[in-house]
Amino acid sequence: MMDLGPSGGPGDAEPTSLSTAGARQLAHTTKSVPQMQGISPRWLLQMLPWQEVHGGVYRVNRRLSHAIGSGRLLFSVAGGRVEIVAPTLAELPVLRGFDDAAALGALAGGFSAREVAAGELIVARGQSADHLVAIAHGRAHKLGAGKYGDDAILDVLSDGDHVGDRAVLAPGATWAFSLRAVTACTVLALPGRLLAQLIDQHAGLRAHLAQLAARLARPQDKLGQAAIELSAGHTGEPVLPATFVDYELAPREHELGVVQTTVKLHTRVSDLYNVPHQQLEQQLRLTLEAVREQQEHELICNREFGLLHNADLKQRIHPRGGPPTPDDMDELLSRRRRTGLFLAHPQAIAAFHRECNRRGLYPTPVEVHGRRVPAWRGVPLLPCDKLPISRAGTSPILALRLGAEHQGVTGLRPTGLPDEVEPGLSVRRMTINGQAITSYLVSAYCSAAVLVPDALGVLEDVQIGR
Amino acid sequence: MAMTTRPENDIENLRTSLATDAARKLAHTTKSVPQMQGISSRWLLKVLPWVQVQGGVYRVNRRLSYAVGDGRVTFTTTGARVQVIPQELCELPMLRGFDDLAVLQALADRFVQRDLRPGEAITEQGKPADSICLIAHGKVNRIGKGKYGDETALDVLADGDSYSWEALLESNDSWPYTARAATPCTVLILQQDAFEAIVAQSPALRAHLDQFRRRALKKQDGTGQAAIELAAGHSGEPVLPATYVDYETAPREYELGVVQTVLQVHTRVADLFNQPMNQTEQQLRLTVEALKERQEDELVNNREFGLLHNADLKQRIHTRGGPPTPDDMDELLATVWKDPTVFLAHPRAIAAFGRECSRRGIYPTSIDLGGHMVPAWRGIPLLPCNKIPVGESRTSSILLMRTGENNQGVIGLHQAGIPDEIEPSLSVRFMGINEKAIISYLVSCYFSTAVLVPDALGILENVEIGRADG
Repeated sequence: MMDLGPSGGPGDAEPTSLSTAGARQLAHTTKSVPQMQGISPRWLLQMLPWQEVHGGVYRVNRRLSHAIGSGRLLFSVAGGRVEIVAPTLAELPVLRGFDDAAALGALAGGFSAREVAAGELIVARGQSADHLVAIAHGRAHKLGAGKYGDDAILDVLSDGDHVGDRAVLAPGATWAFSLRAVTACTVLALPGRLLAQLIDQHAGLRAHLAQLAARLARPQDKLGQAAIELSAGHTGEPVLPATFVDYELAPREHELGVVQTTVKLHTRVSDLYNVPHQQLEQQLRLTLEAVREQQEHELICNREFGLLHNADLKQRIHPRGGPPTPDDMDELLSRRRRTGLFLAHPQAIAAFHRECNRRGLYPTPVEVHGRRVPAWRGVPLLPCDKLPISRAGTSPILALRLGAEHQGVTGLRPTGLPDEVEPGLSVRRMTINGQAITSYLVSAYCSAAVLVPDALGVLEDVQIGR
Repeated sequence: MAMTTRPENDIENLRTSLATDAARKLAHTTKSVPQMQGISSRWLLKVLPWVQVQGGVYRVNRRLSYAVGDGRVTFTTTGARVQVIPQELCELPMLRGFDDLAVLQALADRFVQRDLRPGEAITEQGKPADSICLIAHGKVNRIGKGKYGDETALDVLADGDSYSWEALLESNDSWPYTARAATPCTVLILQQDAFEAIVAQSPALRAHLDQFRRRALKKQDGTGQAAIELAAGHSGEPVLPATYVDYETAPREYELGVVQTVLQVHTRVADLFNQPMNQTEQQLRLTVEALKERQEDELVNNREFGLLHNADLKQRIHTRGGPPTPDDMDELLATVWKDPTVFLAHPRAIAAFGRECSRRGIYPTSIDLGGHMVPAWRGIPLLPCNKIPVGESRTSSILLMRTGENNQGVIGLHQAGIPDEIEPSLSVRFMGINEKAIISYLVSCYFSTAVLVPDALGILENVEIGRADG
């Protein structure tokens, strides 16, 4: 059916030869494969070294540690009143593992909120430490005394951080540091005596504290691991220490996470419409792209094994101001050896570069996998759109040490899956149903493990707007 | 008889050898080939990967998308009075495809003009969102609230942009940001009650808006594509989602464009005057150079397929101030963050950018690109292209793109293997000799360019290259 209609050309003159519209009825169109938005370079998947996992579970064995973890407190705001979410009080080291809801509820009720303007002191060095102080919202600098009397910024605290949970229990303790609000802060304070009362009333808690004291008294190195005792610099013939390396008895086990879907394709489509592009191949190709994108998302955001949820609290730092400055990045870099890469949202990278521009810095790019990428101090700074941007326009920046051989972050994936098409990803034909629709099961398994806590650092809540 | 010699005869007499004038009568002149101004480095033609097209047409298949495109609105100005062109309201996503001109005219008439001084707020965060704003002229900053109560600039809107069409569709919402004029601005504002009055009068518009809302409810991913449903992180035995990847049923097709000319050479010239240079060859060489310059110009400026006209509105950003600062370039990099390949800018825009770098004390390192040292920013080469227009008000654009078919980037289209080809997709064909003994050659070049997915191309617009304080 050829259409040589008179509306062939835009010109007014009657065409004297075949128009292109007519010619197209006879010609093949060159067709691209289906294009898809949302395919990203997936740098994390590219850069992570992968450990093959047999049997679906990866156990991270570690040296025995006496350190007691602590976590962030959560707050609820109801009708302008800020309150602590009571169960999260168990994140305080002194209350770790304590689960009497009524007692925690009573304790949460003992907190009183106050607003602190930017620049004010929340606690002052040298004054008596009679309150446990938690920051509900805002950012504060922890200031120590410098060698020659000036203030030195020890740390930046932010939402959910607390100070003084140990100090308030010691009689006559004073603050060893000051806390200065750098933004307007909402601060909750609990008088130390309420905490002491609670401890007096609950035998379980007393036992917990005694155990805590005993744990802290055991020989341990500065990271809290059971010490490997050594003798050094001795002369003569002292008796050498006898030692052994103790292991954690309940090490963390990582199960592989899964991303799955079933792809359906009518047999009529897959049988007939196959030139020049195979229909099944294209359906699967795009589905695999979507699966890989989701997989990267899981590696970062999954609540079980996602990197954002597995960073140790000590490795989470806050920027001193709002935007990510070179200083903050240096701080992040200083927390570990062999940092292999930074991962940030493209907007956060732009924000960081703005801060560089303001200071007249031009970090030289480096080459990764044949591509030039931005870098800071020679460590590639790679974009990843899976990192969340909060409603307030803040985003985290991750710093990773890579590889199991360096006790870094490692990706986990299974080997030898049936019908494996790519490592850790299988496509299996399921059935053809009564409607002549073929189904394919697409499964991808992966997980990630942080072998020692300092392998992963997070610069939290960097501001990406100007 | 004493001989008196005149001074003018002295020289005549003193010459003892052949003068150069005379010598030239015997010597060949060494001649350059004909030189031509206006040949540029044509980086765009070099960096674009060329994809072979068979059959004159290239179809870009894409996943089905429910996102409704938006565009820029244009205005008419009579004296100080600015009005929106009614048909242009269809560029607003909610009115896309709506063609009842009477209703559009009624809507256009309800817009109220406001002239703003720099710093004046159009909408304030937290106040009820009850209007739509079209920016006729000027730059507007959108400012949100940071985590700790400070202000953060979100983005810049400029001529033809609009914002908050969503506000009209919903009631009882409040502004999530403040919009403030950064330069003297003329904006047109339509209040929600005026809009709703017109919706109440026009059943056609109501039906259109209902359909628009339904479309927005369909399952889609972040970019508006029909979702590929996946289950992740589950345990136990939930029923897995069944899914398929849907395609656009009316994908865009690119026909190859053409640049053509007829080159004429008199047979007498072509036959005789061929030493040391072949006349036809030189004629052809210069014609091909001109043809290629035009080809690059079309690739940038053609209204059908030119890169400047094919960038998605979401990929177009404006400079914060006027001149192209490093900050603006970083922001441009955030739009094409997936493996960008190259920046293209007018040489004067590159100079303006260099000035801004120098002012901040930044010296971006150059990189090696195919043996040439070229300027670069963040490791991405910044190449000159004088085809990018510089407007009357000394503003230009800077392009950033990812190239390559496999990367879903920007590609060039051509068709190698045409008859009498001298270069891929460029043919010189002998047409004939006419009664005046003139030989005609038809010189044709076929090409086009396609942006495979929208985020392959970003444009920094309103780049001022001649700031007085620069």
